[in-house]
Amino acid sequence: MSTRAFRIVVVVAFSIAITLVAPFLGGPLSGDQGEFIFWRLRVPRVLVGAMMGATLSIVGAVFQVLFSNPLAEASTVGTAAGATMGTLVALVLGVSGGALPVVVVFAFAGAFLVSLLIAAIASIRHNSQSDVLLAGIAISLAATAISMGLQYSADMQALFTATQWSLGHIAQVNYRGVLLLLPLVAASCGVCLALSRSLYSFSVGEDLARSYGVNVARLRAVALGFGSLGVAACVAWCGPIAFVGLVVPHLIRLLVGASVRVVLPLSCVGGAGYLVLCDLVGRTLLPTRELPVGMITSAVGAPALVLLLLRRRAPEA
Amino acid sequence: MSELEFLEVGCRVRGRTLLDSVTLRVGRGEFVALVGANGAGKSTLLRCALGTMKTDRGEIRVNRRSIATFSARERAAALSWLPQHVGVVEGATAQEVVAAARFRFAESFTASLRAASAALEEVKAESLSGLPHPRLSGGERQRVAIASLIAQETQFALLDEPANHLDPRQQIEVYEWISRLRGRGVGVLCVTHDVNLLAAVEGEVRVAGLCAGRVEFESGFKDAALRELLSRAYGTELHEISDGAGSRMFVAARLHRDRGTST
Repeated sequence: MSTRAFRIVVVVAFSIAITLVAPFLGGPLSGDQGEFIFWRLRVPRVLVGAMMGATLSIVGAVFQVLFSNPLAEASTVGTAAGATMGTLVALVLGVSGGALPVVVVFAFAGAFLVSLLIAAIASIRHNSQSDVLLAGIAISLAATAISMGLQYSADMQALFTATQWSLGHIAQVNYRGVLLLLPLVAASCGVCLALSRSLYSFSVGEDLARSYGVNVARLRAVALGFGSLGVAACVAWCGPIAFVGLVVPHLIRLLVGASVRVVLPLSCVGGAGYLVLCDLVGRTLLPTRELPVGMITSAVGAPALVLLLLRRRAPEA
Repeated sequence: MSELEFLEVGCRVRGRTLLDSVTLRVGRGEFVALVGANGAGKSTLLRCALGTMKTDRGEIRVNRRSIATFSARERAAALSWLPQHVGVVEGATAQEVVAAARFRFAESFTASLRAASAALEEVKAESLSGLPHPRLSGGERQRVAIASLIAQETQFALLDEPANHLDPRQQIEVYEWISRLRGRGVGVLCVTHDVNLLAAVEGEVRVAGLCAGRVEFESGFKDAALRELLSRAYGTELHEISDGAGSRMFVAARLHRDRGTST
């Protein structure tokens, strides 16, 4: 028990430390330019990274309970692809000049639509765990096809914006963006945390949870709604950043065990540190240019997903 | 007196009649065993009470109030459920699994864990408390599931084949633990095939026979007529073996035929 408490402290301390230190790392900071880079570029970037990491991670942890599938997260069940599609609609159609609040609304519409679709599929055939993932892949592919169609028919200017956005980048941020993102991710994380008691009882099984007094339909709707909101806000802002919601909760579970009660809040805290770290790596890995953070998270997450899949198959065989 | 009542309950799914018209009453502290052939509608009746299946006629009432008007939490205060298949909960300890049954209480998680410990003690499973749920044996998991029923502190408990897939000793133990539930004033409605195990229940047992979606008979477990009633309900001749001291067993007459134990 005490080693578990110690590990929890370590995760929290890591996240705080990396978030505090990250703005100081990278190219040298000197003079007026250094001050500008520090306050105007790096600090907001780290803040956005932390908020997004926290949101994507906790939403991943919530989806894993909700779909009773340890591999569920925004990018594997299609929520992220839905948000991407919504965002591209807004960008390509140039709705009100691609202003962020409008884009978020579109992204949310896409994300929520896909989440509902997946939930419907999962509830029809909740006997097989892989169904959710397979449905997620199918829906992701469909959403990607629509996204590509949108890009194909877009003009050069919109196409450039869309391409740049779709790499998953936290670079161009400012405090206005931070303030816009903050209420959305706060609502998403807050609701997810508030649901932890229901999700905890839900984790023993859907029908049992119902007999324990959990209002399953409401739980599902609220969790999917606010989960999608968080994912949509992140995707609209920085492009699809995959696998964060998969890697972080798994690391947390490895460290402190799988009790939902601990995994949810700790994924939130640890996720913040994780994404800040990924962005820091992307920012400093190459001497001449930056790598988008989405590339880093995918480079870590894709092999992790394969590893987890292999490990899950083993005991069944 | 508070009661769980099924009044002319009917349930149809896609044109198939699962329950025709079931009328059955369970009082607090009573033990009612619901027996019947496969597909007689036993599990369906429990699911209707839990609200996971919809009834299309009749009424299910707890303390004279229709269960349909209960909120999710109110229902969880009235009825607990032991499913036929208890799944494995990855990454949770036995104590944490039991604590999940405390959802209806407005209490801290620490309080839930404490109540879970007390419930586990009641079924002599305190040593399992900190073990990962997936590592427990079938019998141990069933004991943990019964602790969950105790922890939920309901007025009635609905049990679906509680001794399924257990070895003979564990089967008898399960019924002893369930008796403990009854000792706390809980009314027990227990769906089972295995009438013989009811001998392990302390005190009076009422046997209700469900046949083609209707309650065909109700009889005390010790009533002489039970053999004939059961034979009719299962559609096969049953023999009775008695030790002369009140203990009785029913065996299918055509012994060359395997008797199934699962629903």
